Amino acid sequence: MDYPIWDIAIGGSVLMGLVAVTHVIVSHFAIGGGLVIAVTETLAVKRGDHEMRELARRSSFVLILVSTVFGAISGVGIWVVAGLISPSTIAALIRNYVWGWAIEWVFFIVEIVAALVYFATWDKISKRVHVMVGWIYFVSAYLSLVVINGIITFMLTPGEWLKTHAFWDGFFNPTYWPALVLRTGIVMMMATAFMGLAAWRGQESSRPRLSRYLGWWMLAGVFVSYAGYRWWEVALPDGIRALFLGDSPGLAALADTRSFVLWSLTAALVLTVVFLLVVPRMAKLVPLVLVMLAAFAFFGSYERLREGVRKPFLIHDYMFSNGVRVDEISKLNEQGILSKARWAARDPADDPVAMGRQVFRAQCASCHTLDGYQGIRKLLPDDPDMTFGVLYGLFEQGEEYTGAEPGTAVDKSELFYPYMPPFVGTEEEMMSLAEYLSSLVATEPEVARAGEGQ
Amino acid sequence: MSENLIPALDSTPIPGPAWLFHVLLVFTFFLHALFMNLALGGTLLAAFGQLAAGGKGSDHRVTLARRLMGVNTYAISMAITTGVAPLLFVQILFQQYFYTATILIAWVWLFFLVMLMVGYYAAYLYKYRGAPTRGDGGTGWLVVSAVMFLLIAMVHVAVNLIHSQPDKWSLFADNPWSVLADPVYFPRLLHFVLAAVGFAGLVGAWWAVRQAKQGKDVQLNTDIARFAWKWVLWTTVIQVVDGFVLLLVLPQPVLLGLMRGGAATMIPLTLSILLGVGLLMMMARVSNPVEKAGLVNGTLGAMALTIAVMSITRHQVRGLYLEPVASRFEAATAPQWGNFVLFALLLVAGLATVGYMVRRVVNSPATGDEAA
Repeated sequence: MDYPIWDIAIGGSVLMGLVAVTHVIVSHFAIGGGLVIAVTETLAVKRGDHEMRELARRSSFVLILVSTVFGAISGVGIWVVAGLISPSTIAALIRNYVWGWAIEWVFFIVEIVAALVYFATWDKISKRVHVMVGWIYFVSAYLSLVVINGIITFMLTPGEWLKTHAFWDGFFNPTYWPALVLRTGIVMMMATAFMGLAAWRGQESSRPRLSRYLGWWMLAGVFVSYAGYRWWEVALPDGIRALFLGDSPGLAALADTRSFVLWSLTAALVLTVVFLLVVPRMAKLVPLVLVMLAAFAFFGSYERLREGVRKPFLIHDYMFSNGVRVDEISKLNEQGILSKARWAARDPADDPVAMGRQVFRAQCASCHTLDGYQGIRKLLPDDPDMTFGVLYGLFEQGEEYTGAEPGTAVDKSELFYPYMPPFVGTEEEMMSLAEYLSSLVATEPEVARAGEGQ
Repeated sequence: MSENLIPALDSTPIPGPAWLFHVLLVFTFFLHALFMNLALGGTLLAAFGQLAAGGKGSDHRVTLARRLMGVNTYAISMAITTGVAPLLFVQILFQQYFYTATILIAWVWLFFLVMLMVGYYAAYLYKYRGAPTRGDGGTGWLVVSAVMFLLIAMVHVAVNLIHSQPDKWSLFADNPWSVLADPVYFPRLLHFVLAAVGFAGLVGAWWAVRQAKQGKDVQLNTDIARFAWKWVLWTTVIQVVDGFVLLLVLPQPVLLGLMRGGAATMIPLTLSILLGVGLLMMMARVSNPVEKAGLVNGTLGAMALTIAVMSITRHQVRGLYLEPVASRFEAATAPQWGNFVLFALLLVAGLATVGYMVRRVVNSPATGDEAA
């Protein structure tokens, strides 16, 4: 929150979601595509199978166009967006895991060079060497997943790192291995989803055979994903799992997302069995798109669930989504949130409403807009006393975090507002924020916007 | 006071001594600059050549455009890949300045990704739907690609100037476009663009000379080498002038800091000026590059060295800009030497793998049924 605040009507989290989801779909295809293409070409060479060779060749063109362009740029895009909406978090992550990212960069270089060489040398070099390049591509791409999986899972389940702050404690955290198995299944699913279209673009006579071949890959991907997902659920700390599992899950929306995860995986399984394995003659554009959509729905909803259960943290039990660290709650309650929010408090606040607006920008604007995504105005009660009550409840929630043993997780399912960071700041700041929020209820959106510009 | 707007450093110590990250930042930026120069300069030069020739496939300038863009779809990819590392290390060393600068021009910074994607796909479209595949045409795609890359260069110069001048952040926050009025902005932009075109032209000339020396299309390659060489020569002439202008428009404390920095700053600065002037002298001796292949090779090597040295000076200039405030931000360090060694070993292994792969590929040409 020390940083300037970027006002974006659709909400920073939505923007991040758009960039991240499209990136992960493409990047997982880039990894899985490497595996399936390498195996396909190996089999094609061994059997002298021209149709399999052409499938590998067409798929490699898609791989180049989609992964080395869109995948690489959207990957940088995640950093760019993170730096714009959550600079404190990405700074903390990079300081802890810069060597992890540097190692991933090495694999990324090998991966990209291999991809470009692989694509550029069809018809130009010996089969054996070309197959070797394909395998180098896959191995380096998969190793980049092995690394980045440690950082992604660290954000949800930092485990022993909370006590030791040691690189490997955070890296090999409680959900590292289940997530790696899960993502291994997902990369096979994504590869098949894209390569199904490459098979469909081939000769009509070869489609059923190639579709069935890809169907086995999809089937394997579905089962590995399912095993990984179930393991991931078991590996989650009780307080997180209770948010979406059990007889009375802490958050109904997350329980619904979890149902969607499993149903979309089931849909992918059924569609694969029917259209790719049992009646592969039917593997035409529409059925293939349906398989692809089911696979995307599973992956997208899993990512949404993973992000959802992490709230209100960006790094679980360490840093909240507004950049406030758990270990600084007490200090900020004494000194005030505005003591840290240089940009939000850039101009002097002449009255409580102006100060409240600064507090809002410092503490709430990373998730809430005024009238756009998560628009605060429509969420506010009409009664100002009730607004203050909510804020006080959030302030007290902070004590749950500060009262916990350092390094131990708070059971979020027991909290009244499990999705929200605690209110942090002085009593004066809380009163000011309440006044500002109350003024929003009484203000037309246009008037408020005009005020924003001042 | 704008200086009070500088965010506090993250409390997490950096996992290695600062000097190590400075070295890595400069080194990886140099790698990135090589590919970035080829991508930006090559696309601009290809567009100039294609426009000058009216898109006619028989013209040697279009052949040069074809060649440059044939390579550029790979060079752009490598520019992105090698750009990841300096982006990583700059966040370690300059997080509080860098993030603030990007947020102050958030939409523009975000839009650079869109421009990169458009420019990249346009390069592919030119390659497969324009002159490189069909013999002629595709000028529109080429121009789109060149414009996108030029705009991206403008965005990066803007971020660099904003992040290195926290004393002006209030001004930039109120009017981000005011960075364009910074006296350093356009000379600096020109400095990068000229270097890019010069480097790409030199690569194009070197390639044509090699082809001519192997007896392939001697007249065509001689024409290409001469055309490219003119661009190399004139961009370097203007570059030397612009380089001095850039020095003079730097804020006085920065310029004085460079001059009074002793051997640490004066050696790279003097070396880069000498290399610039030396390059000019080498280039002026060549009227037909094909006849002086050795000099062309030497010029290419000297230019790569100049880029390396200028990468150091560029980094030092940033340090001098930030010197008045930097002392307030001494980051704690908690080195993770084991992880660094792992990274270094994997880097060596990775580069060895790339080398092995490329060598096997080069040594395994095949055609017909023998080919993959």
